[in-house]
Amino acid sequence: MQPAIVAEGLKKRFGRVEAVRGVSFEVRPGEIFAFLGPNGAGKTTTVHMLTTLLRPSAGRAEVAGFDVVAAPTEVRRRIGVVFQDPSLDRELTARENLYIHGRIYGLGGPALREKIGEVLRLVELEPVADRPVKQFSGGMKRRLELARALVHRPRVLFLDEPTLGLDPQTRAHVWDYIRAMKVEAGLTLFLTTHYMDEAEALADRVAIIDRGEIIALGTVEELIRRIGGELLYLRPEGKGRCRPLPGVRNCRELPDGRLLLEVEDAASALPRVLEALLAGGQRVREVTLRRPTLNDVFIRLTGRELRDELTRPGPAGWRGRR
Amino acid sequence: MQAFTVMFYRQVLRFFRARARVVAMILNPLIWLLFFGLGWSRVFQSPMARVIFGGVDYLTFLAPGIFAMTLFSQSFIGGVSVIWDKQFGFLKEILVAPAPRAASIAGRIFGDATLVTLQGLVVLMLTFPLAHALKPAGLLPSLLLGFLMALAFAGLGTALALKMESLEGFQMFMMILILPLTFLSGAIYPIGAMPGWMQALAYANPLTYAVDGARHYLVGASAARFALALDWGLLLLLALGFLLLAALAFRRATLEG
Ligand SMILES: Nc1ncnc2c1ncn2[C@@H]1O[C@H](COP(=O)(O)OP(=O)(O)OP(=O)(O)O)[C@@H](O)[C@H]1O
Ligand SMILES: [Mg+2]
Repeated sequence: MQPAIVAEGLKKRFGRVEAVRGVSFEVRPGEIFAFLGPNGAGKTTTVHMLTTLLRPSAGRAEVAGFDVVAAPTEVRRRIGVVFQDPSLDRELTARENLYIHGRIYGLGGPALREKIGEVLRLVELEPVADRPVKQFSGGMKRRLELARALVHRPRVLFLDEPTLGLDPQTRAHVWDYIRAMKVEAGLTLFLTTHYMDEAEALADRVAIIDRGEIIALGTVEELIRRIGGELLYLRPEGKGRCRPLPGVRNCRELPDGRLLLEVEDAASALPRVLEALLAGGQRVREVTLRRPTLNDVFIRLTGRELRDELTRPGPAGWRGRR
Repeated sequence: MQAFTVMFYRQVLRFFRARARVVAMILNPLIWLLFFGLGWSRVFQSPMARVIFGGVDYLTFLAPGIFAMTLFSQSFIGGVSVIWDKQFGFLKEILVAPAPRAASIAGRIFGDATLVTLQGLVVLMLTFPLAHALKPAGLLPSLLLGFLMALAFAGLGTALALKMESLEGFQMFMMILILPLTFLSGAIYPIGAMPGWMQALAYANPLTYAVDGARHYLVGASAARFALALDWGLLLLLALGFLLLAALAFRRATLEG
């Protein structure tokens, strides 16, 4: 089957900033594909190129079988987009927003009215459909945007950080809607996020993007398997120091003094590790065992935390605003 | 065509949602007419003054000017909505849609021009009781001419706004354009009374021809300075030119820069 999205060496340069440095990937029809990466990684820029709003500096891309530069109108007909920043008409009601959207996409009459009702039900906004959007909460606006992107029955749906800035409850809700959308036959989803749990919860396959480049691509399972094994957190007395330990493939000293060890099999490695540490004069007060997550994959590949990016802005140059 | 009608519809919806704007649009010309026009009409009561104003009283002279001025400034200011659409992100919704860009931007400009012409109608209805000498028969042709001018300036405002990042930039253009063009149009004093260099500027000012045409229809041929064909011809060219400019600006629009 023809891929829903193909990108080959896609690049975008803004003046001296190279926001996207040659990304290549394919998205299969019907799958949920996620771009996972920190702020400034180039996620939005990629979405804008794929949705025909930015011209690539180099490389090419096809969406729903059409080239984004050569046949933008054909691409636009077949895609739905939820942008990172809101793009609703705040003065109009939810229903009016959906109606205008439908008409712009060439729909009308009872079919449009029916579709509007259907998408409003999907995101549970029917009771407030005739209120102006400016009275909506962030979560309601997000849901309305999801609904709007479905009105014209797109083949490929782009969601740029669909749950950014939403509270945990609303996020879980939005995830449900997104899963429900996927059920709609043939819909392919391309979503970007910097929440690893979001990628884990929703995506069939994940591309980890950092500083404009894809540094890993695969199913969540595959990516985690690259780390393999299990993770041990040890809290030694005093500050932990990494040194060669039996059965340990990788060791990191965490800022809080703990040691993070990658081991093949925790059950057999742990006694030997503790023994070796004790022999070296280091007592361990606490041990935590954890399965690796996408965050660990990111750490392994970049030496940095994906999660850190959420809470504190990195030093200059870190966010890519070089 | 769908994109044209729906963008037209959107401008109308938004206009009537913004009650303050509806009130301001009626109040502003009324203030000019009452506090400016009525005041000066008392000063210009001598027969000499009537000669200067083409044989009519000042209020009758001024009324077509206020009408044209209202249409001009309101249609140009319509460009602000494009800036709002940029800032609130709605423009992206249009840019990513498959509809022909020229159709959607034209729908928006025609919508603005139609609303502004309706405002012109309201202004004229309020004017007739004040300026008795105005000809009711001139109402319809004035509105048509006004519509053409509104198209031109809504097109210009939209094209400029598409190039602007911020409201401040657009407001600067409003400051630079609206008042000087109004003063240089013969709307509030006759062009014949201006010094030569000012007359030259007035001739280069498109608003001049809208004022002139409106005066022709509402006051009489003797009050006009140019041939009607010139008024219509120039405004038609201008409307086409600015519509094209807006369409081109929008067709090329991306999220670049
Ligand atoms: N229009 C622009 N002009 C100049 N630089 C830009 C422009 N848009 C994006 N950039 C830069 O390109 C880089 C990638 O930005 P992009 O918005 O694609 O990142 P992102 O992964 O979406 O980040 P976030 O999680 O913050 O949304 C950043 O360094 C950004 O500063
Ligand atoms: Mg982004």
